[in-house]
Amino acid sequence: MGHDTLTTVGDPAEPAGDRLARPLPAWLGRPGPTSWHRLNPLTKLTIAVVTSIQAVLLGGIVGPSMVLLLAVVLPAVRTGVGRQVIRTSLLLALPLAISASLVNLFFLPDAPTTLFELGPFRATEEGARFALEIVIRVVAIAGALTLFYITTRTSDLVVDLERRGMSPRLTFVVGSAVTMVPQMVDRASAIAAAQRARGLDTEGSPWRRMRGVLPLVGPTIMGALNEVEERTLALEARGFTRPGRRTLLWSPSDPAYERLVRWSLVLTIPVVVIVRAGGWGLP
Amino acid sequence: MTELRLEGLVHVYPDSGVRALDGIDLRIDTGERVALIGQNGSGKSTLARHLNGLLRPTEGLVLVDGQDARERTVASLAGDVAVCFQDPDRQVFSGTVAAEVDFGPRNLGWSADVRRTAVATALDAVGLAGDQRTNPYDLGDSRRKLLTIASVLAMGTPVVVLDEPTTGQDARGVARIGAIVRQLAAEGRTVVAISHDMTFVAEHFARVVVMRAGRIILDGSPADVFAEAAWPILASTFLEPPLAAVVGARLDLGSTPTPDAVVAALRARTA
Ligand SMILES: Nc1ncnc2c1ncn2[C@@H]1O[C@H](COP(=O)(O)OP(=O)(O)O)[C@@H](O)[C@H]1O
Ligand SMILES: [Mg+2]
Repeated sequence: MGHDTLTTVGDPAEPAGDRLARPLPAWLGRPGPTSWHRLNPLTKLTIAVVTSIQAVLLGGIVGPSMVLLLAVVLPAVRTGVGRQVIRTSLLLALPLAISASLVNLFFLPDAPTTLFELGPFRATEEGARFALEIVIRVVAIAGALTLFYITTRTSDLVVDLERRGMSPRLTFVVGSAVTMVPQMVDRASAIAAAQRARGLDTEGSPWRRMRGVLPLVGPTIMGALNEVEERTLALEARGFTRPGRRTLLWSPSDPAYERLVRWSLVLTIPVVVIVRAGGWGLP
Repeated sequence: MTELRLEGLVHVYPDSGVRALDGIDLRIDTGERVALIGQNGSGKSTLARHLNGLLRPTEGLVLVDGQDARERTVASLAGDVAVCFQDPDRQVFSGTVAAEVDFGPRNLGWSADVRRTAVATALDAVGLAGDQRTNPYDLGDSRRKLLTIASVLAMGTPVVVLDEPTTGQDARGVARIGAIVRQLAAEGRTVVAISHDMTFVAEHFARVVVMRAGRIILDGSPADVFAEAAWPILASTFLEPPLAAVVGARLDLGSTPTPDAVVAALRARTA
């Protein structure tokens, strides 16, 4: 068989060590690599939330498209995370966008203009327009949240909220909720791999892929909850519930102009509400 | 008959750039019992994931029965090579123990009767026969690990790969896994196991492959790999020989990787 005798390969004295360490994400050393990354986490969060709200409030197609372009696509591309943001947000938005499109395209009530007919179903121009509006909104919201997510470290957000006087319990809840998402994605893909290893055929048709996804939902959520519970216990054991303020060794900077930006963004919401209530709007 | 062959296998993880396997040449014949050892991060799990096609080589070849693994889907390879992964929490997903074990056989398209027998036999082998309806989350870590072992055993594949089956097991668990290895070998099935338990390795495996930093640095019988001359090489990948080997060396008995070998050598000396 050839391996009955001892074979030695390589030099035993060669050190095996640092090259095994998994490198950290490129931007994990603070500060962030771009001025967008370096924005205060609350500023980025405000941008994401206001963008999402405006995408809905503005109505029509032109308004939300502009919001999508200016507040999501532009910063994402300039920050160098364009591909990542587009991929993730499309993935998030697609299921909702597709179902909403189909329903509206074919079943929007009071839509007289026929585009084409598909068996018993009639696609209407009004439906198509409404579907497009919904898709743009959904993509804008998914994109805004993804951009925030990708360019913000959870620890920065948590530290910043705590600096602003939020209780550690609440910041822990926020932090856990935010970190849960990548953990769940990670676990789900690991379980999916294990299922393929036990013969689940997911290569090929989309139907086959879908079949593998459903059984992942339960364990993914269960596992994430378990993890949070364990983390809670571990924190408890290390004096997390001790009263009093914590001393922060570092916190993200928050210059005055960023505060101004945040308040201005928030103010756009009542402005648009009033404008829309007055009957004005873009097509 | 399922022979595994790795030729010049290199694997670089694209997202981290880590060169986890750095030129592996390995041939495992039908019915062999091979233990894969080496420090954490030396690439053992990465190697295991190539055996069923879950990871694709960056360079080099994985041949299952002479056929390039890349030409087959993971699902079809699963009928030949079953891999039990390291972390149970990243593979168990069913609501009951029985459903979990049934998943593989169902994918292989077996009839309900055959599956029932396969599930019962596999659960019996790991000592979970009475837990068919238990939720895997109520089992506890070590028994959940045994459940994952049962899940791959039930598939009846000619090759079984176990990634750290003994980690977290008490003496009874380790003994159970040892018995499973013996049973698989008796059926002529190939067993590849990754383990940090050198006593278990010396006891149950005919061949030991030692890895360090993505390479194979030793490959031989337990008597060879755990012989005193090889200790410095083992130490370079943070491994220690089993106690029996140390005792044998101190008593000048030669290489005695297991207690039985110590006793035999002592008997031979006094005879
Ligand atoms: N999914 C992954 N992505 C990137 N790097 C990985 C991944 N899995 C393992 N590695 C890296 O590859 C190397 C080998 O890992 P692994 O095969 O798990 O080693 P072992 O099983 O011997 O402990 C380690 O440096 C590890 O950090
Ligand atoms: Mg491993």
